[in-house]
Amino acid sequence: MKKILFLTTVMAFLAIAGLNAQTSSNASEDQRVSVKVDGLACPFCAYGLEKKIKDIEGSKEVKIDLKSGLLTFQMQKGKAISEETIRNKVKDAGFTPREISFSETSLKTKENE
Amino acid sequence: MNNSKLLATFIGMLLFFSCADNQKREQASNWTFKKEIQLPEIAPISVIAQSKFLWLSDVDNNRVVKTDLDGKILEEYPGFQRPMHISMSHSIVYVPEYTADTIKTIADKRVAIFPLLERPDAPAGIAVKDETLAIADFYNHRVILQEGDAVSTFGKEGHQAGELYYPTDVEIFNDKIFVADAYNNRVQVFDKKGNSLAIIGDKNGINVATGLTLANDRLFVTDFFGNRILVYDLEGNLKQILTEGFDNPTDISVVRNELFVTNYGNHSLAVYGLSLP
Repeated sequence: MKKILFLTTVMAFLAIAGLNAQTSSNASEDQRVSVKVDGLACPFCAYGLEKKIKDIEGSKEVKIDLKSGLLTFQMQKGKAISEETIRNKVKDAGFTPREISFSETSLKTKENE
Repeated sequence: MNNSKLLATFIGMLLFFSCADNQKREQASNWTFKKEIQLPEIAPISVIAQSKFLWLSDVDNNRVVKTDLDGKILEEYPGFQRPMHISMSHSIVYVPEYTADTIKTIADKRVAIFPLLERPDAPAGIAVKDETLAIADFYNHRVILQEGDAVSTFGKEGHQAGELYYPTDVEIFNDKIFVADAYNNRVQVFDKKGNSLAIIGDKNGINVATGLTLANDRLFVTDFFGNRILVYDLEGNLKQILTEGFDNPTDISVVRNELFVTNYGNHSLAVYGLSLP
């Protein structure tokens, strides 16, 4: 019985951890999202991706670095976004998404540090 | 000398002068590099060259600027949302807003919205001739043709004749629509009904055909990653390849005997001159 309880607890913990990894929480402050994107090279591509990301409700401060192929944007506090949504938006724009990371630290806070 | 000999001599002379004239015309397509103009404050995507001024869409800074021929800003029109390939007709500048899906105009220093009958998804280029307006509709892989109160579209996503793959620029010439079929690495020519008439440049190793223009009986095409401008006659025969002074070229404009090319890569303009025989 103890074993079953232990396994259940571990599985629940893993499930929650996995969920957190795939979805941004309803954070108390703006969240920064970074996405590494393959095939981002021309301005039509870059600003096309910007357009698709701006379509996401709650997104702001969308920035694209052509040279590094890095897309960053902020999600307004209280607005959640899943990794799947981001991947679909990047694919809609005609690109291949790679690593996606979420950070609770806003860009402004980071810049002020 | 009998009549038949006279006639043969006459025809021979006609052919000789005709060939000489053709040769002169061929020589007239000889463009040579003149200079590069640095534009440190502008990220130029598109250019319209006039005899004394240039109009540039400054995509990174969300504005359109009017400059002198050395790139010095004379007028600034801020507040555009990623302006791309601009066009001019009857002294009106037409500006496609890539991220707003709208067209705006600049006339007499005033900016206004131009009413569209069909909504594009990322309008990348526009051409206007009299009552006809053509838009390169990037994400819908098509061209929108608006003539007065009538609107039609042609093209769909693909790689065959009649299909487009991320079109970025468009020109209207003699009732034909020339489309920079960017990621098909070619130019495609359509009639107004959307029938594909010709494909140009597909065998010339173009690596993303971002912009085009028609002038002096020539078609000019930018090769974005190849850092070249390809010059064709109107039948699609390659006449010259320009290679000097380019860094991710996106657009071309010709005024008199000068050719201006926007370099998005290093924020500059390359200027070529026509060597006359």
